[in-house]
Amino acid sequence: MKKNIFEDFDGYNDILEEIEHSRKYGINYSAERHSPAQFINRLHPPVLSLIVSDIIEETSSTKTLRLIPDDGYLPPFLAGQYVALTLEIGGIRTSRPYSISSPPNQTGFYDITVRRVDGGLVSNYLLDEVKKGDHLQSSGPAGHFYYNPLFHDKSMVCIAGGSGITPFMSMVNEIADCGIDRTVFLLYGNKNSGDVIFHEKFQAISDRFENIHYIPVIEEPPDDYDGSRGLITGDLIKEKIGNVDDKTFYLCGPQGMYDFCIPELVKLGIPDKKIREEVYGAPANICDYAGWPEDIKAETVFKVSVNGGRTLDARAGEPLITALEKKGVIVPSLCRSGECSMCRIRIISGKVFQPKGVPVRKSDRQFGYVHSCVSYPLDDLAIAL
Amino acid sequence: MEEYDAIVIGAGNGGITASAAMAQKGLNVLLLERHNIPGGCATSFCRGRFEFEVALHQLSGMGTVEKPGPLRMMLASLGVLDDLEFVEMSELYSIMMPDGFKLSLKPDKEEVIKELQDRFPHEKQAIEKFFDLSYKYANDMLSTFIFKDPAPSREKYPTMYEYAFKPASEVLDSLISDPLLKAVLSVYWGYVGLPPNRLAFPYLAMIFFTYIEFKPFHIKGGSQALSNVIINKFISHGGTVRFNCGAKEIKIENGKVKGVVTDDGEFIPARFVVSNASQVSTYVQLIDPQHVPGQVSREMRGRSLSSSAFSMFVGFDCEPDELGITEPTTFLLDNIDFGDRVINQMKKLDIDDQLLVLSCYDVSDPEFSPPGTCQANIVTLKYGEPWLSIPPAQYNKTKFRCAEAMLRRVEAIYPGVRGHIEEIEVATPLTHMRYLGHPNGSIYGFEQYTKDSMFFQPGRYSPIEGLYFASGWAGDCGFHPTLQAGLSAAKSIVRKLETE
Repeated sequence: MKKNIFEDFDGYNDILEEIEHSRKYGINYSAERHSPAQFINRLHPPVLSLIVSDIIEETSSTKTLRLIPDDGYLPPFLAGQYVALTLEIGGIRTSRPYSISSPPNQTGFYDITVRRVDGGLVSNYLLDEVKKGDHLQSSGPAGHFYYNPLFHDKSMVCIAGGSGITPFMSMVNEIADCGIDRTVFLLYGNKNSGDVIFHEKFQAISDRFENIHYIPVIEEPPDDYDGSRGLITGDLIKEKIGNVDDKTFYLCGPQGMYDFCIPELVKLGIPDKKIREEVYGAPANICDYAGWPEDIKAETVFKVSVNGGRTLDARAGEPLITALEKKGVIVPSLCRSGECSMCRIRIISGKVFQPKGVPVRKSDRQFGYVHSCVSYPLDDLAIAL
Repeated sequence: MEEYDAIVIGAGNGGITASAAMAQKGLNVLLLERHNIPGGCATSFCRGRFEFEVALHQLSGMGTVEKPGPLRMMLASLGVLDDLEFVEMSELYSIMMPDGFKLSLKPDKEEVIKELQDRFPHEKQAIEKFFDLSYKYANDMLSTFIFKDPAPSREKYPTMYEYAFKPASEVLDSLISDPLLKAVLSVYWGYVGLPPNRLAFPYLAMIFFTYIEFKPFHIKGGSQALSNVIINKFISHGGTVRFNCGAKEIKIENGKVKGVVTDDGEFIPARFVVSNASQVSTYVQLIDPQHVPGQVSREMRGRSLSSSAFSMFVGFDCEPDELGITEPTTFLLDNIDFGDRVINQMKKLDIDDQLLVLSCYDVSDPEFSPPGTCQANIVTLKYGEPWLSIPPAQYNKTKFRCAEAMLRRVEAIYPGVRGHIEEIEVATPLTHMRYLGHPNGSIYGFEQYTKDSMFFQPGRYSPIEGLYFASGWAGDCGFHPTLQAGLSAAKSIVRKLETE
């Protein structure tokens, strides 16, 4: 056999010796020691098996489900993060994200707090069908709506609307339980007094802790109501928090609240980067969005061909992922709000509507990849999963 | 059932080029990727209004249209060159120290030498010698291994024969006495993962040679654009890609590949498998131990896992110059001792005065981030082990503590940056482990000691018939080498089919 030229390079024999030595005393790559999954699953398990250990009635339309782990272990999370429950309801497999309302220091369970949505497939199922002892499946904790010590202010202004209170329940309790040196101003808007979730709990915490300020705001209160009324306006915010410059603002609630509150904050001179918004699901009435083509009604049905095979029907007014799930086509999903990119699919032909501001990668846009949880058919489509 | 000639496991750089090149030659190829997006390291993610580049710092081997480099030619052969837009970076790199030391090198041999000689006049000759030696070495290598001189000899290529197996520090020490200059000339060790006393001189020589001759580049739309373009080409050649679907097992019979079992438990037959996963995962997790030849375990025993990285992706609410960032690639240097001290630091959780690299793509491509903003990708090398033993409940706290230390280092060079942060994401060795699936979150495959170079290791080959490797684990790391690795694996398979 011909000699390789590198065998004549200076130091060749030393390298051979080194190789022999390293093979003799080297590393035994056994499966146990080097399986990445074993380490990663402690932080980011692909699936969590949970049991409903308790159901707590919060208001007439809201319940907290207390979830304990089937195998005794729950991964840690940051206050404000969510889990996505995977459910099969009436033969349809789907998932929904729910902020964890219990604090991270409470390591024995995750609470999720669910409010009834008119006609809501999942919320009604969780409120009416799920019983103590039932098994549920979820994702690991996820999401980017949390206090970031690297650049957020130690003074937090939390603005919540309706069921958007849940991540703040977790944040406020963690600060109170763990004696964390941060100040919270929690402005919590609801239509009626009866809708307010966790009212007594927040009241009790703010009575005990000087750094927790709880300001419920009722849009249509009874005449004798002596708290803040109306909407969460810039004036109200300014009055309650004082100096606006040393604070970071966190918003979680329905789209209408963002549409109203963010301009109010901007008017107060608060820069965009200090306003952190939690995603809150796909838009309810997509046809009302700017840019939606007038000639297409929500009920219009289009044909969607999947991976060059089967074809199914999809309504214009419904996110593509929902239409797929109804026909048993599963696309992995997490935030269901366009943010996490888990439900990325490719549109081979046909047009979809995507609301403005959905964070899709530049080159994904170029090649027709969309986030199917916030994409609405405007055409017959061919897609690839 | 659909029949495939080859199944590729993993859509990283090696996996996608292997897939595209085989499909281009008419093979029916299935590409499996457990993530929902192609690229592996070559990807991006969105936070707020930013799309953060994950891995590409300086693309090597591109060259210009007039003087194309090997990567440009390779992308042209794949038919994807015209679908991409490349941005030439005006700097080789710059170095900044907290004491105010600043140096910036242009990717031009004469200019690099001149700039260094101006700054280190007492080392004038040494600088000249260092670059002469690096270029001689590179030219010897090219003549021998790229242009394949049929009769190479020590007389023709003395530099190669003498220096191929020498550590970089030995060469630097023999020429240079100023420790600062030695550090300035060896910061690129960070792109390979071993400090100069453990790194073979050829790495340093070849890095300088390729970046200077073929210039450093970036890609419009980042490395995700490259990944998407290659996948698109693969699909247009009739290839099939399954996202969200990993491989569970490679089936072997009588020493030959039979096919792959997917995560869903489906068995798909194929004669060839290209693994873009590490050899460790492939042999230990994907193949039944009874089918792994003894020589494989013996060879792997001699390899060690490279470091992982601790990275910070920062979106700023202003242009780079407002932050004082004027170069696309800056090494933040706080201590010029690149001895074994560096390895000890890499084995610790916390960040102190170790080498950081800060890439700000917006300097060379103002459209990279939204108007009026910019982003920085700040990286330091860290081994994965200490992160494996952190109790999960302490993970986030530890991550933020280390990020805070890194941010302070950055603030020491660019005062006031913190006030401009709009988005920030932190990646630890566990993050790299999560998304790459590599043991210990290694980002550079097996460590690249001289004994681990292509001369001594099996590279893309396996004693199992039909199994090939295409990744940084099968050779050198970085974009150009890993893209090339896929092409080489594809060539081996195509050649094998043609000779039948």
